Amino acid sequence: MINTNGVETTYSERVSRWKLMVIILTVALMLTIVLSLNVGFAQIPFSTVLKILAKRMPFLGNLVDSSNVSYVEEAIIIQIRMPRILAGALVGAALAAAGVVYQGIFRNPMADPYVLGVSAGAAVGASLAIVLGIGFTLLGVSTVPISAFAGSLIAVFTVYNISRVGSRVPVTTLLLSGIAVSIFLSAIVAVLQVIAGERLHIIVFWLMGGFSYVEWKDVWAVLPLICLGTAVIYFYARDLNILALGEESAQHLGVDVEKVKKLLLVFASLITASAVSISGLIAFIGLVIPHITRIMIGPDHRILLPTSIIVGAFFLVICDAVARVIVSPVELPVGVITALSGGPFFIYLLRKKKESYAI
Amino acid sequence: MNPKYVAYTMTAIAIISVISAVYVYAYYEGKIADMRSMISDLQSDIANLQSELYKYRNLTLVDDRGYVLNLTSYPNRIVSLAPSNTEILFAIGADDKVVGVTDYCNYPYNFSAWIEAGNLTSVGDYWTPNIEAIVVLEPDLILAAFAQEEVVNTLRGMGYKVLVLDPDNIDDILKDIVLVGRATDRNIEAAILVNNLRHRIDAVVSKVAGATFTPKVYYEVWYDPLWSVGSGGWEHELIEKAGGINIFADQTLKYFETSSEAIIERNPDIMMFPLGHGAGPPFWGSFDQVKARPGWDAISAVQNDRLYTIDADIVSRPGPRIVDALEILAEIIHPELF
Repeated sequence: MINTNGVETTYSERVSRWKLMVIILTVALMLTIVLSLNVGFAQIPFSTVLKILAKRMPFLGNLVDSSNVSYVEEAIIIQIRMPRILAGALVGAALAAAGVVYQGIFRNPMADPYVLGVSAGAAVGASLAIVLGIGFTLLGVSTVPISAFAGSLIAVFTVYNISRVGSRVPVTTLLLSGIAVSIFLSAIVAVLQVIAGERLHIIVFWLMGGFSYVEWKDVWAVLPLICLGTAVIYFYARDLNILALGEESAQHLGVDVEKVKKLLLVFASLITASAVSISGLIAFIGLVIPHITRIMIGPDHRILLPTSIIVGAFFLVICDAVARVIVSPVELPVGVITALSGGPFFIYLLRKKKESYAI
Repeated sequence: MNPKYVAYTMTAIAIISVISAVYVYAYYEGKIADMRSMISDLQSDIANLQSELYKYRNLTLVDDRGYVLNLTSYPNRIVSLAPSNTEILFAIGADDKVVGVTDYCNYPYNFSAWIEAGNLTSVGDYWTPNIEAIVVLEPDLILAAFAQEEVVNTLRGMGYKVLVLDPDNIDDILKDIVLVGRATDRNIEAAILVNNLRHRIDAVVSKVAGATFTPKVYYEVWYDPLWSVGSGGWEHELIEKAGGINIFADQTLKYFETSSEAIIERNPDIMMFPLGHGAGPPFWGSFDQVKARPGWDAISAVQNDRLYTIDADIVSRPGPRIVDALEILAEIIHPELF
């Protein structure tokens, strides 16, 4: 008999513990989403919120008496709060997942989803659309998110091709060219801000990021991309574990390092670009959420990835709820709340963790 | 007297009076018929006018962005998303329809006191109006303004009626007043206001036409970085109509970043500095600080001490008070004519 007490637990024990963890976190996320529906400028009783939700559920809808629910209350819950909360969850999940991937590939704790120039590219795209004032809507779709999305993909593509040496993409070159391209693109944003004239304000508010004016169609636009991207990334979680041993070791262990790296970079960039296109630049989530979950649960990507996704969503939904009401009726940019609350919490976790901490 | 004659006379009188009565009756009957037909004509005119009016009631409005909005009834719950819109609504007497304003709205009344007293609702600030606060008010018309594309898109997506007032010049501002008048059933009030404003503009223009000297004017929008006005906005028009020359008329943007060098080189005769009320000390400090800016002692306006302040609200808001700004500017630029 082997006493597992204090000894490394078996894999199956770990898996059952992980499952429990994921279930608990998912329930917590669901509860947070429902509870945050209750938060906003308009005072809507929680019972009304529940009635509005129940009304839209199959079967349950007929059992609920929703006669005293006003049209306005329903519009606020369904058309204003729901899309922005879901957008918050999606963006938080996407940024956290991308953060895990980038930190894993680069084996660098400073890496975040914006390291390959996604943010700078999106900023150029959005600023360009704002300065040129491309009608703001084209065929009923807002041009700013589309051009932000295009900008970020072009930026990543450029960075990737700059760093490519033959068929290999060395991470150091990738990191450095990411920084170089970001600096270059930031300068372009600065130029655009100077020539924006009276449109400067719009650029500044876009750069701060937020969910104030998110609509359902924004959510539907990015939902498939983010779901697909995170699913693919999760499929390669094991390879990320092996990559953590170093690229050479991974190669020896039978991982097609270059292929895996490319795939992961493409999908991580795709979900980051999708997230940024509807939310603007929200700092901090992609950098710190992976660390927080790593401290909580360990470095195994098979659990780190799903947990980070849920925690990222959870954290951003809460931050957005706070941003909505803290100085109501004015809304704070959500990036301010993420940094203000997440920073100190992260430092607390780092200090509490006695043993040394590594990716 | 022979009774026979009496009878004849009586008969004659009777006949004459009957004839004249018939004649008079016929005459007036004709008149009455005429009048009746006139009345019926008038009635059909009125009916026509009413149907015209009814057509007019199915209002088709086109805003400054070319967006077409059809109103089937006049709004009763208007939300204004900009101080200028609020000023227009109050100036044309649509104030009883206004249910929501921004935190920046401060004219013609101290709205923050109204909001505190619960008589009016704030929907947040100008740059990021709160969608929920707007929706709670159940508005049947929302008047948005410059740089509010995002909130306008979202509100229109939810089915709200939104007009964007984003004028570039004084003529557009006057047209916007007419547009708001049409939208709120205040056509006559708006027409009277616009007519009055036009007369006041014409009066200023004809007065400064007699000036022998056209001074060069610099208008400071911001300091550090320095921003001024190009020919793309109404500020430029105000300066030119007030008998001055905008030193940056060659710039096409409404506002743009400039430099000390450019200002010194263009050497304005008059410099204008906006003064916002209740917004703390002005961004440009004091006139002493302005005069002490490096190299600015070479500027004619500094040498001749022709630095002036002007209420930022009346200059920067595209509403009816733009004409107040014009009159004040003209008096500053051409004191000899006033």
